[in-house]
Amino acid sequence: MKSQQALNILLGIYIFIFFAYLFGPLVIMSITAFNSAEFPSVTPWECFSFRWFNEGKIAYDGQHLAGLATDWRLHEGLITSLKIGLGVVLLAVPIGLAAALVLTQVHSRFRTAFYSISIMPVLFPGVIIGISTVVLWDRIATMGGGGLATQLGRNGIFLTILAQTCFISTYCFLIFVARLQRFDQTQEEAALDLGANQTQVFFKILIPYMMPAIASSCVIAFLASFENYNTTVFSILSDQTLTTVIASKVRLGISPAISSLALVIILITLVVTILYEVLRRREDKKKKEFEAEALFAQTSGSRLRKAEKNGLKMPKSIFSILFVVVVCIFGFNKMVEKGLYGSTCIAATEKQKKSNFADQLKLLQKNAEKANQISSENGDAGEKKEFDSIFGDPNLFKDFGGFDSKAQEQD
Amino acid sequence: MNYFFNKNGPLISTYLIISIGFWLVFLIIIPQLYMFDLSFRPNIPSLLRGGPDDVYTLTHYKHFLFGSETSGESYNYVDVGVFKDTLLIAVLITFINLCFCYPIAFYIAKVASANTARLLIVSLIIPFWINELLRSFALRILFAGEGFINNVLIKLGLIDNGINFIAMDVALYTGLNYAYILLMIFPLYNAMDTLDKNQLEAAEDLGSSMLKTHFRIVIPHAKAGIASGCTMVFMLTAGALATPVVLSSPNTFWFTQLIYQWFNMNDNWPRGAAYSVMLLSVSVVFVLLMMKIFKVKIGEIVR
Amino acid sequence: MSADVELQNVSVSFGNFYAAKNVSVKIEKGEFFSFLGPSGCGKTTLLRAISGFSEPSDGKILIGNQDMAGIGANKRPTSLIFQNLALFPLMSVADNIAFSLEVRGTGKVQRRKRADELLELVALTGQGDKKVHELSGGQRQRVAIARALAIEPEVLLLDEPLSALDLKLRQKMRTELREIQKRVGITFIYITHDQGEALTMSDRIAVMNQGELEQIGSCHNVYESPRTPFVATFVGENNAFYGTVSAVNGDMVNVSVDGTNYLAKAGSLGEGTKYTFKKNDKVIMFVRPESIFLKDQNNQADNVFTANLKAIEFEGNLKNIYMSIDGKQNVRCSVSNAIDTTDLSNSKKVELKFSSRDAVVLPVGPLAVD
Repeated sequence: MKSQQALNILLGIYIFIFFAYLFGPLVIMSITAFNSAEFPSVTPWECFSFRWFNEGKIAYDGQHLAGLATDWRLHEGLITSLKIGLGVVLLAVPIGLAAALVLTQVHSRFRTAFYSISIMPVLFPGVIIGISTVVLWDRIATMGGGGLATQLGRNGIFLTILAQTCFISTYCFLIFVARLQRFDQTQEEAALDLGANQTQVFFKILIPYMMPAIASSCVIAFLASFENYNTTVFSILSDQTLTTVIASKVRLGISPAISSLALVIILITLVVTILYEVLRRREDKKKKEFEAEALFAQTSGSRLRKAEKNGLKMPKSIFSILFVVVVCIFGFNKMVEKGLYGSTCIAATEKQKKSNFADQLKLLQKNAEKANQISSENGDAGEKKEFDSIFGDPNLFKDFGGFDSKAQEQD
Repeated sequence: MNYFFNKNGPLISTYLIISIGFWLVFLIIIPQLYMFDLSFRPNIPSLLRGGPDDVYTLTHYKHFLFGSETSGESYNYVDVGVFKDTLLIAVLITFINLCFCYPIAFYIAKVASANTARLLIVSLIIPFWINELLRSFALRILFAGEGFINNVLIKLGLIDNGINFIAMDVALYTGLNYAYILLMIFPLYNAMDTLDKNQLEAAEDLGSSMLKTHFRIVIPHAKAGIASGCTMVFMLTAGALATPVVLSSPNTFWFTQLIYQWFNMNDNWPRGAAYSVMLLSVSVVFVLLMMKIFKVKIGEIVR
Repeated sequence: MSADVELQNVSVSFGNFYAAKNVSVKIEKGEFFSFLGPSGCGKTTLLRAISGFSEPSDGKILIGNQDMAGIGANKRPTSLIFQNLALFPLMSVADNIAFSLEVRGTGKVQRRKRADELLELVALTGQGDKKVHELSGGQRQRVAIARALAIEPEVLLLDEPLSALDLKLRQKMRTELREIQKRVGITFIYITHDQGEALTMSDRIAVMNQGELEQIGSCHNVYESPRTPFVATFVGENNAFYGTVSAVNGDMVNVSVDGTNYLAKAGSLGEGTKYTFKKNDKVIMFVRPESIFLKDQNNQADNVFTANLKAIEFEGNLKNIYMSIDGKQNVRCSVSNAIDTTDLSNSKKVELKFSSRDAVVLPVGPLAVD
């Protein structure tokens, strides 16, 4: 039917737009990481370079635009983020577990209320949680009179750990509740019946069962802490985490170093996702094989036969990976050909920009002289007209490459 | 209580009670109460707190409504305006988000084959592993005066000079929309997933148009998902800080940025607290409203 | 070492609902005792009360003459085998079995030794290192038993352990369980709804219905001298003839059923006493299908009656003959497969007989609903 076809085409376009919207900015950003230009851009493409991953560059106005490897602020922020992440995991996971356990034991009348309260932190805006933590501990610190309380209350890392724990515990709580729902209570009873005391039941029966949930809680808690900004920016006080450093770059200057950071994170995410998917598929396959074995054993002698194991099958994804590699190599060659790569290219561009700049200066000079001439001829005392004719030249500041602090020989 | 201790043994009971007590009382309730209390106190140096000058006052709330005593205007148009704008735009963005995400959620839940659906879901999740800040930066790179979009448009000859997307707030709105798509899609998807496909086929068989099917069958069924998605998106948008920091122009302000200003730049913590209380109240009211309108319980709203 | 278990007026209630009401029973040391009854009769509740998972709201539970009030499940000398077995899925078979030793701090070598002993006892030698899910249903049963016996409890409690198994396996396990019990000598308290199980394995049976104890006695006792219509129809098959008493003669009763007169025994109340009936009392006369014979069979019988044949059902070793008397009273008679029934047909009336010694008269009461 025609309308069905039209609908399908519309659907296709919609999905395409949707994913372009989702991935487009990220793809473009990744590309800008390799452009040696100062502002992240795809056009004009200066040179293909890794500089933003490494040493960065000194901008023309003297500002040091650091690359990933040399940005000490970024590194400090990263370490702080790791410390905070660790602290949050150590606090939030046990708290979430405790809350989930208590939920199963509370009288059914109180269950909804308890659940609602446990969920509340996620519904608070992050900034509120950060602010309230800071405000409270500031008061405690003041009352503490110089002792430990005062030190803690003014410590950004301590405060951030507390603030983040507040709502990250809820995430852990939800994960544990889901896992706990499928727990067979009779196992606990069996253990008790066999003489275990409650503590032994907890550690020998419950915790082993909860292990997968504990693992995923730790991961989720760490990631949530690591990437948090709204709460952290208030509670971190004088320290910095990775996210606050990134945010501060808005003021300090946007350079493709951010793109390179993003690309690194994207790649790590992709690798981890792919690894996880591969591992999971392998687990599933093993499980299926095992079940088939069991079935075969039980029905041995019947006409069911074990599926023949084929030789190592090539996963289809190999081809797409090969394709990408080939394209990359090809593109790379082309780039080197056109002289768009490497330090030679950079030097050439810099030179070009400086020669532009030198031209601009000359143009300026010429205009100034001309204006002087005209005004002295006309008897004007300069001012706006002169100004206009000097600086109003449309050729001025075209393709402005910016300043360079190193002294260069003139062209 | 006795029963509780018996059931869990002394060691574990202690652990449970301490953990939950610490969390509920110390991390959730007391900070909020204190912040609420602080919003009613004057802005005095911290050493003077608790002293004779520390009285209850409404000056901060008054300031929000009426502005400072020195300004000539009768109402604090700036602050109130920012508050109003933030909320209205958050609502607008929530609605746009809903419309934008609904078709794809439906597609993944009901139309796509199982493998396609999984692939789509995974590919949806990947961008959101990347920090909100970095994603906003990506948009900034796109929208900046020297950014990608402007460059392309100029190259194509469509415009002569760069369009200032940032000052026009286009960047900000797109960024806010972008940030929370996942949180709208997933509740919708989960809710729709439980809809029996046979119902759709039955409706089609009985002659219902696609629009009608959606309005009468799909949407009522996905009610909880819609409520959940809208609530989360609204609250995160109204309380967003990362995206406005990166994408807003000096002229626009998001309410959270106002709070930030009171705290870190003007060093007026009580005032910041007061504004925070207002933001929190709005969030709470919104959640309750959503629960009432859509008749969902709080447990269904959170993932 | 085994102990006796005594329940004194035990009631277990949840709010207003009584799961078990006023149950008193003394289970002897080393006995295989079964609680028999339909779902919801309270047997599981009693078992959990004896294990220590719930406290009775009334009455006392004594194990080995010691009052168990306030003593938690992990401190009682009982071991419970759950209906779903509750084996620990993350542990190996040997670890499962040795768990009770592990929590008492026994060393690894000793634990393994004991686990191997028990594996031999339940005929699972060498399976110690397997994981639970690698075993079949019957094997898991035996692991559960081995695990429960590891610390040599004084009382073993079994909650319908065979209900998940198929018929052949069930029959095999019945014999095995009985043998294990005889070998180990521990008191077994077994609950089931399957009266065949109860009858084959137990020394004594307690029949329960809706939280109350209907009868306690040996298997023969319960089968041949049921105390209530419920017991008469729950344990084994029974024909219920509704009638009125026409005459009483010491222990024998004349019952009139739809005009026909029969001679039967008065049912026993237990402890040697019998029911006393008066003329015109409404009663039910119970005669087991296997006690009703065809007229030309070689058995002594002083009661005769005729009926119309409805159907003959072949059950393998028996034939069930379904009949009705004048379209009102349904009767079932079971004969061995060896008996020739080819001359029975729907057109003729069947002539049957039974002995008054095989007929029991009880006051009217609810029957076991199938």
